[in-house]
Amino acid sequence: MNKVFLLLAVMIALVIASCTNEPEQTVIPASKATVRFSALWEGQPFEMQQVYTDAFGNRLRADGFLNFISLITLVKDDGSEVLIKDYALVNFYNANEITAEVPAGKYTTLKFGIGVPRDRNKDQDPAQYPSSSVLSVAGSQGMFWVWNTGYIFAKFEGKCDTTGTDGAELLTPIAIHAGDDASYREFVSQSFSIDLTGISKTFDVKLNVDQIFSPVNGNDVNIALQAITHTSTNPDLATNFMDNYLAALTFVP
Amino acid sequence: MRIVAFFVLFFGLIGCRESVQPTLVDKPVEVRRPQSFPPFEFPADNRPTALRIQLGRQLFYDTRLSSSNAIHCGSCHVLSAAFTDGRATSPGIAGIAGRRNAPTLANVAWMKRFMMEGGVPTLETQALAPLHDSLEMGTNMMRAVHRLNEDGDLKALAKAAYGRDSIDPFVVTRALACFQRTFVSGDSRYDRFLLGQKDQINEHELRGRDLFFSERTQCGSCHGGVFFTDMEYHNIGLYAVYSDEGKARATHLPGDVGKFKTPTLRNIQLTSPYMHDGSIASLEEVIAFYNRGGEPHINRDVRVRALQLSKQECDDLLAFLMTLTDWNFVQQKDLLPLER
Repeated sequence: MNKVFLLLAVMIALVIASCTNEPEQTVIPASKATVRFSALWEGQPFEMQQVYTDAFGNRLRADGFLNFISLITLVKDDGSEVLIKDYALVNFYNANEITAEVPAGKYTTLKFGIGVPRDRNKDQDPAQYPSSSVLSVAGSQGMFWVWNTGYIFAKFEGKCDTTGTDGAELLTPIAIHAGDDASYREFVSQSFSIDLTGISKTFDVKLNVDQIFSPVNGNDVNIALQAITHTSTNPDLATNFMDNYLAALTFVP
Repeated sequence: MRIVAFFVLFFGLIGCRESVQPTLVDKPVEVRRPQSFPPFEFPADNRPTALRIQLGRQLFYDTRLSSSNAIHCGSCHVLSAAFTDGRATSPGIAGIAGRRNAPTLANVAWMKRFMMEGGVPTLETQALAPLHDSLEMGTNMMRAVHRLNEDGDLKALAKAAYGRDSIDPFVVTRALACFQRTFVSGDSRYDRFLLGQKDQINEHELRGRDLFFSERTQCGSCHGGVFFTDMEYHNIGLYAVYSDEGKARATHLPGDVGKFKTPTLRNIQLTSPYMHDGSIASLEEVIAFYNRGGEPHINRDVRVRALQLSKQECDDLLAFLMTLTDWNFVQQKDLLPLER
């Protein structure tokens, strides 16, 4: 009989224990990082079809500007790296935000490549990738060479007038297609210290397009002298364009 | 009651038979390889099957792969000319001539890299080049597959061949490559001679053969091996100044200016005109060019120099080159468009 009472007491205790409210656990919201790419011309949003005057006095407009950005990575304070996105096509005016959940912790650096890194660039077959991949035939939106192997890293297309005549129609084509292993550039931000634990944070990467078409960085991209390159046809212009491109990036943590 | 049951069964069977779609059954295929050719390993994702080859054959001759719907791969790669077209450079969709002479596709399965500067690594990826080139088929792959997917029969064939629900760039590039790897040409008189049929070659041709492989001409040092090409890139001094930079277009190296992939000499009799731009009309003139030694160019291969060949020796060389023609190859019906 005593055993029965003992058993009942234990059961009642268990039931009471199970009914007791557990202390509330703190739910830490996910840590999210967004990298937002935007383009500016003299501090204002850079618009397609808008006519601008560059540092050399050339009037130009962009009809398209598409870029491969790769290995977008945040570096933690312990030196470990968190990949935000492997490969992305960024056009700087709409498809330009990349968001990913990241582990909690403090971060110090943002880095990414402009172009496609060597091991995924040469001797690859775009047809092998599913259409959802930006490296595929469909996903890359024509950003690959066909007579040669590899991807086009940056494609700036538009029209210009280099005669200096006010109001003259823009008739001269601009076609800067930069892309081979030598055109790959890596951007590494200045150091910062941001704890992303439980917060969403946007990192702004701004491309100052006016600085690409200026001598400010020591590499002339003067479209009055040369406005067309398919890299192989004018490697110097492709190199200068990519060098200026890298130098024209600013980062706001 | 039995009569009712009979009719129910009869019409039931008829109904069932009508609803059954014809099933495409695929099977692996062994691509014929001449005895003297080295073994060739098909890519793991594109082993040859009957339906893959059939699909590639249909696509090779399909005008939907050009933006004008007027030309296909076979427009510039004609079987009777060993898959060249007899023109210096070929007109594309707009009737505007391209920059280079259409190369033969014979034995492409064994070739290492593609395009004359060798920038393209595989036969599969090579298909993207003419499709996208505005001077050739002038379309893009996504537009082409959109048009092809409107063809239910072709979609069914692609599904059976590659197991994909729609025709996509993978299917098109694989099927075209699969078909082209059946372009095997190794039955020339010279091949038969090497297999022991000594009566296939006469004295005149034998003298040409000896001259071809001699230290004096060194023709065979670039055009050697079973495919009569070293698959390397050379500047032969065709021009003192090249408007087409050749391999340098891909490498940007000054030392590669004017270098082009050595073409095979198999079926050379059928693939005129010659050189990367089709600028030399006849084989006689090609031999005369090499006999003169080419134009001065800093990258000119040292083996190209004045040969001092006599008229008779030039004739002997020509006679030998004529023995490299595979007449059976250019009459192979299964390489022509499918008859509808």
